Amino acid sequence: MNRQDAKVAKVFNNVKHSLGSLRLRRKRNMSHTSDIIIIGGGIAGTATGYYLAKAGLKVALFDKGYLCSGSTGRCIGGVRQQFTSESSIKLMMESVRLFSGMDEELGVEVHWHPGGYLFLAHDEAKKKAFLENIRIQQAAGLKDVRWVDAAEAKEIVPLLNTEGLLGGSYCPTDGQAYPFAVVGGYAQRIKQLGGSIHTFTEVAGILQQGGKALGIRTSDGREFFADKIVNCAGPWAKDIGRLAGIEIPVEPERHEALITEGVEYLGIPMLVDYRADGGYFQQFKHNGQFIGCYTPVPNVPGTSCDSTFEFLTEMPRRMLKLVPALSEVKVIRQWAGSYEMTPDGNPIVDGTDLEGFYVVAGFCGHGFMLGPATGREAAAFIATGKRSPLLTDFALKRSYASREAMK
Amino acid sequence: MKDRNMADKELIICRCEDVTEAEVLAAIEQGAATADEVKRLTRAGMGHCQGRTCRRLINQILARRLGQKPAEQKPVTQRSPLQPVSLKILADSKD
Repeated sequence: MNRQDAKVAKVFNNVKHSLGSLRLRRKRNMSHTSDIIIIGGGIAGTATGYYLAKAGLKVALFDKGYLCSGSTGRCIGGVRQQFTSESSIKLMMESVRLFSGMDEELGVEVHWHPGGYLFLAHDEAKKKAFLENIRIQQAAGLKDVRWVDAAEAKEIVPLLNTEGLLGGSYCPTDGQAYPFAVVGGYAQRIKQLGGSIHTFTEVAGILQQGGKALGIRTSDGREFFADKIVNCAGPWAKDIGRLAGIEIPVEPERHEALITEGVEYLGIPMLVDYRADGGYFQQFKHNGQFIGCYTPVPNVPGTSCDSTFEFLTEMPRRMLKLVPALSEVKVIRQWAGSYEMTPDGNPIVDGTDLEGFYVVAGFCGHGFMLGPATGREAAAFIATGKRSPLLTDFALKRSYASREAMK
Repeated sequence: MKDRNMADKELIICRCEDVTEAEVLAAIEQGAATADEVKRLTRAGMGHCQGRTCRRLINQILARRLGQKPAEQKPVTQRSPLQPVSLKILADSKD
């Protein structure tokens, strides 16, 4: 045997040895083997997991806290189709369809209600931008969206302060749903379909060999194996990616929110005011609570979920500016959560350079609404390798140059 | 004495959100092991009083059901404002 042959034989033996020990480990840990491992128990993880389980695959889902303990459980439950990326518009039309049939699909009441979204324009530049967005949305098939002038906005929301208002972009089939019920429903279905949910189980390592993902190691030293691993870790997607040696451009930012006591449902759609001192809020139909937030300027990077007095006083000012009649409604709770931002405002739904390691993350504050349809398309891609054209804008390796305008 | 592990369909645990003991036990049955999870599955503690009455009861039910001491159960996060405050009063406050 010459030196070259000896080298090859050595490599071959090494590979044979490690494959042997891997088989052994797999055998020993049969209970720790599944088809799919999902990291993250928010909407991305549970929706993707549900559709993979529905396709007949054995799913094991892990979360370092409880279900909904990350971004999804801190979101305000808005569901809209008004975007500017064609992928997002079309996926959102699908999501709305899925939300409207979700009570039956998941066997829980998810409180879907098409209460509408009204984006307000107070200057000509905004009006022009909204008219252009409406053109894009209608071209993508969203026929329900339309421009309304200030008088019509007042008809839709009689309590709206229309001072300085030129009009707005209105879509009556946008709406709202209840995040805890949706995620809880998907999780129950995963279990019913033979999958497992591992809460309070932190992933500390991604096991891999020869460029292929094999499984995970948890922080308490256990190993779980699967053919495919899906990173649905939201604000922590970058950290999980780094465990696998994969760079994922997702940066968390803090957004604060508050909720009021429940009062009579007033039929007010989600009001979105993009002005520097604007914000967005809606009223839940199922219990009459108003819920809302605004985007802080400058942004607040990081996963901190601390609340501020500034927000607690500023948000009511912004709400009362739009709907003064709410002045006696009482705030009962404030909190904060993380938006998981990508450079262009679109999520990442793709495979990676590590075979068998996928990403479904970076939803930029739109994860709850995009989750159902995106989870379904992601599951189809992961299960079959066939990629829906709806996911075109969400590739991991893209320019990140074109920005989502309605973010 | 009544067996407290038997669900009482009538017994209200969270009076703001009308959550009964049976519903809390159902959430534990579904996999909830902490007060945070019970809160999110049942809405107990999410109402007007923000769990002032029910949070101790829920920790007790959890501990009893899971064979723990009540002290082993972490309380849910307390959030401001500690009592309901009108939008107007908040809006008029100075930082």
